[in-house]
Amino acid sequence: MTEATYTGALDLAAGAFLLTAVLIVWRRELSAIVRLLAWQGAALAVLPIIEGIYQREPAPIVVGVVVLLLRAVVLPILLARAVGTEDQERRESTPLVNTTASLLITAGLTVLAYAVTQPIIALDRSPTTRALPAVFAVILIAVFVMVSRRRALSQAVGFLMLDNSITATAFLITAGVPLIVELGASLDVLFAVFVLGLLTSHMRVAFGGTDLDQLRELRD
Amino acid sequence: MAAALQVVAVLAGAPLVMGGMRQVRARLEGRAGGGIGQPYRDLRKLLRKQQITPQGTTVVFALAPAVAAGSTLLIAAIVPLIALGSPLDSAADLFGVVGLLFLGTVALTLAALDTGTAFGGMGSSREITIAALVEPTILLAVFALSIPAHSANLAAIVSAAMQNPGQVFSPGSVLAFVALVIVTLAETGRLPVDNPSTHLEVTMIHPAMVLEYAGPKLAVVEWASGMRLTVLLALLANLFLPWGVAATDPSALGVLLGLAAITVKVAVLASVLAAGEVFIAKLRLFRVPELLAGSFLLALLAVTASSFLATTTQ
Amino acid sequence: MTTALHNSPTVPALGEGARAAPPAGALAWLSGGLTAALGAVGVALGLSVIFGEPRQLRIGWLLPLVGVRLDLDPLGGLFLVATGAVSIAVGIYAVGYAQRERWARFPLAILPLFVAGMLLVPAAGSITTFLVSWELMAAVSLFLVLSEHRREAVRSAGVFYAIMTQLGFASILLALVVLSAAAGGDAFSTISAHVHDLSSGTKTTVFLLTLMGFGSKAGLLPLHAWLPRAHTEAPSPVSALMSAAMVNMGIYGIIRIDLQLLGPGPNWWGLTLMIIGALSAVFGVLQASVATDLKRLLAYSTTENMGLITLSLGAAILLRSSGAPTVAAIALTAALLHLLSHAAFKTLAFLAAGSVLAATGLRDLDKLGGLARRMPVTTVMFGIAALGASGLPLGAGFVSEWLMLQSLIHSPADGNTTLALAMPLSVGAVALTTGLGIAAMVKAFGVGFLARPRSAAAEAAQEAPASMLTGMTLAAAACAVFAVAPALLGPTLRQVLAVLPTVGGHAAGPQLGTFLRLPGVGGSLSPGLLAAALIIAVLLTLGLSRWGARHRPAAAMAPLWASGADTLSSRMQYTATSFAEPLQRVFDNVLRPDIDVEVTHFAESQYLVEKVTFRSRLADPVEQRLYTPVIRAVNAVAEWVRGAHTGSVHLYLAYGATGLLIVLLVTR
Repeated sequence: MTEATYTGALDLAAGAFLLTAVLIVWRRELSAIVRLLAWQGAALAVLPIIEGIYQREPAPIVVGVVVLLLRAVVLPILLARAVGTEDQERRESTPLVNTTASLLITAGLTVLAYAVTQPIIALDRSPTTRALPAVFAVILIAVFVMVSRRRALSQAVGFLMLDNSITATAFLITAGVPLIVELGASLDVLFAVFVLGLLTSHMRVAFGGTDLDQLRELRD
Repeated sequence: MAAALQVVAVLAGAPLVMGGMRQVRARLEGRAGGGIGQPYRDLRKLLRKQQITPQGTTVVFALAPAVAAGSTLLIAAIVPLIALGSPLDSAADLFGVVGLLFLGTVALTLAALDTGTAFGGMGSSREITIAALVEPTILLAVFALSIPAHSANLAAIVSAAMQNPGQVFSPGSVLAFVALVIVTLAETGRLPVDNPSTHLEVTMIHPAMVLEYAGPKLAVVEWASGMRLTVLLALLANLFLPWGVAATDPSALGVLLGLAAITVKVAVLASVLAAGEVFIAKLRLFRVPELLAGSFLLALLAVTASSFLATTTQ
Repeated sequence: MTTALHNSPTVPALGEGARAAPPAGALAWLSGGLTAALGAVGVALGLSVIFGEPRQLRIGWLLPLVGVRLDLDPLGGLFLVATGAVSIAVGIYAVGYAQRERWARFPLAILPLFVAGMLLVPAAGSITTFLVSWELMAAVSLFLVLSEHRREAVRSAGVFYAIMTQLGFASILLALVVLSAAAGGDAFSTISAHVHDLSSGTKTTVFLLTLMGFGSKAGLLPLHAWLPRAHTEAPSPVSALMSAAMVNMGIYGIIRIDLQLLGPGPNWWGLTLMIIGALSAVFGVLQASVATDLKRLLAYSTTENMGLITLSLGAAILLRSSGAPTVAAIALTAALLHLLSHAAFKTLAFLAAGSVLAATGLRDLDKLGGLARRMPVTTVMFGIAALGASGLPLGAGFVSEWLMLQSLIHSPADGNTTLALAMPLSVGAVALTTGLGIAAMVKAFGVGFLARPRSAAAEAAQEAPASMLTGMTLAAAACAVFAVAPALLGPTLRQVLAVLPTVGGHAAGPQLGTFLRLPGVGGSLSPGLLAAALIIAVLLTLGLSRWGARHRPAAAMAPLWASGADTLSSRMQYTATSFAEPLQRVFDNVLRPDIDVEVTHFAESQYLVEKVTFRSRLADPVEQRLYTPVIRAVNAVAEWVRGAHTGSVHLYLAYGATGLLIVLLVTR
């Protein structure tokens, strides 16, 4: 793999990673959001695989394959099942911030991410750090999704995006995470999704819906 | 010479593009369709009809179709469709072309207001809202395209893309392409922004504006909207895939090759567009801003991506 | 909207007292003639300075201590020319307008004084002279705004204008006093020689204070609130002078003090100007696109255009300090050219609006319409102005906005993060401004002048008298020059750029020939050629559409389709409010309209509706958020102070005596 193709592939993967995040903000259909999350997982998995092929090391490739299985296959299937059981709540119908404003805020966050990562890029101008702003932007977008969405499932998606982007940052900055750390983190995430799934179904039993605003009633 | 041929090709080819798209759609929807040549027959029929002036309209109403068609023809003469180096190339760059495009839109919206009917006002109000929101995306996409060429002049952009074909697949270029496709759909009144074949006035945008036109004037309006679509599709094709565009002062063979290349590109793009339209529904009017905000975001990402990638590789 | 349903502007003429006075024919000729003559002097003087030697004039006895000091250089000359040209058109127009509208004697008499004040500001060569002429301009304009002081809206606008313009003046005064003290001199030339000794803290203080003062005069956010009120309520020739000439003085102040005297400023000055400019542009145009009052729409469009100019000035500073003086010169040229073309099309627009107001007594677009048949010349004039304001090809604003965009997209690509982030966002802001500007102008022209009249007053409109038309024709000719032959302004702008070295003026500016070429960066445009080609293309289309004419039956008139009803009534038309409704809905979060729908049902059944009342109010959100708390606080303090005012004269004398004692003790 030449230097140029390596750079190009990294750019494209990071770009796809960012694009899926943008599309998640854009779409309302929960099933579409979960599908996009799977694609994001795939884009994330490509990062260490490219790294491994370029460096000719097997360890990052293994990490990549594990990440691919977990984030592009297992987690989306779990989430999709949660969507499937919800009858009426297949859409994020009324997010707290409307879609147009959300998209513009996303634009602002991306630009902000470019601005704040410049010092880090200046430290080391390698192809991996160059892709950092895109990944960092996803962190901000993920937090924004968690802030602005009503449905518990969208919150879970935001959480997973956050985790994806933190993992991606780790891949890019440290050029790879030790296998065992990545596996541990992924297991944590898996448990978190289980817990969220349980909570969601409990909420549905208790309130008949997963609109988080209804949780306010617990306080009164 | 090539510029004159471009104008003639757009004039003659626009009904063909319309007919072809309708035919593709008809076949995919399981209908027989009117045949590719149907728009020509429609235009001939309309041009032979009586000139009818609606009572109470002014010269604005009478001239608007000619301004819309004329500005589109001028765009066809400026942009490098068949060959580079149009004599008008340095008279207007991509910003100028966008301005001309909006001039045509404004002419028709004013004509619609001039009639003073409810539907005329409705159509023009919607059209101008969409046009206003499209503008940021278009200009940002122009910005993104001008970064590699260091110029917004069309010949410079196209020749830069010819010299460096690999840059077409850079993230900036891909994002700019998607953004431009969305705004082209909005500007030419295609699905999902507007339904060109609707007969329900309440959902119309462009058709509602031209509801009062009849006979030869309607022919010019229809022709103008066909030419607009043709020119924009051709421009889109050549900005990103400039293969086959002849150089400045081309030979006769070069011109023929250029003509063949652009015909094939427009045919492919138009068919893809028509096929895509079968599968999508019209968006609610107030969901259109979401679409345009999304395209704005893509264009902004295109600019930031290309400027940041351009700066760090130096 | 607000104006549509509440204080719908009715008869624009003056109060009863003025109406009783005999029409001042001779005075109108005198005042209008004097205004135009002063304008001509301004143009001549300005041109002689731009192309000749700088002129200086000292009149020692006129002001105590320092004397009057006038220094004319090409920059001041440019503003003299702009102000003068506007005054010529307005002066001629005012002759007919004053007679038709029975303008009162006092405002008519001080009209030339206003022009004189505006001509003195760019000519001033020292801080004292500058401040005195600034105050002259501000005070006279206040009296002019109050011409029709018997109407409540005018008084309220006057109070707003008086307070804001005096606060602005105070801020400028403070800034220039600080500057003068620090640099140790009163004349601009002395200050400019000592400016390198100033500490950066002083410079920053002066910059911020002048930005506040000049920004409020230029109608920039958030100090724009006086502008839509004063421009709307003043007589139209005065609105034209204020909007096309007076607001320019704010920009002049920013260029003279912040760019020329204090420059080259640090990066953040440029960024601040860009942000304020972009916000003003987008906010102004947004308000313009939902406004239903014709003059309010034009006033907000002034805020928009001043915003664009400020954005360009900021870009020039930023580009200059990023090592791109050529591109900075393009940005500066764009700003100056836009200032001039805005003066041309805004004069024309306000004069045409004034002629509509004089003919119908209406400013409300919801009640206008059908003027194209009744006032054809005024309609064409407004059309030219609207085309200019929308920044489309063939319009006066096209070339300058094109230059603006070119300067924004050609920033140097050397890894400068600030530029790489600021420029795309600015392009987005400029583009949104242009897009919404088109919508606003289509609304103003299409709803106001085309279609059928929406009220009896509009139905009875008659064309304006000859002198008003002459004034408008002059402004329209200027618009045409900007639209197709900006080459004529090339030499002037080059001379002006040469005196602004601190913002990239030494670098070769763009060449404004038949083809506009940008040195150093690729880009060219030929507005004249484009216009000619467009006309040929339109004629070609008209010729082509003759095809088949032999077979056609004779042309006929036919009634419009009334959507199934018997006859088409003017109530079926879209109004300005309905035209802007989609935009209002899209920008709901920013505009925050206050909408009331009241449905009254019949007593028999709640399914039958007797009456629906719809009320929509669009207030300025910035004003509501920012000004209301301040005004409330001031009122609270005033209330508190009132406790000391008992009405007893003895007590007041005691206050005075105590105060004197305190002063004596402190200064002992």
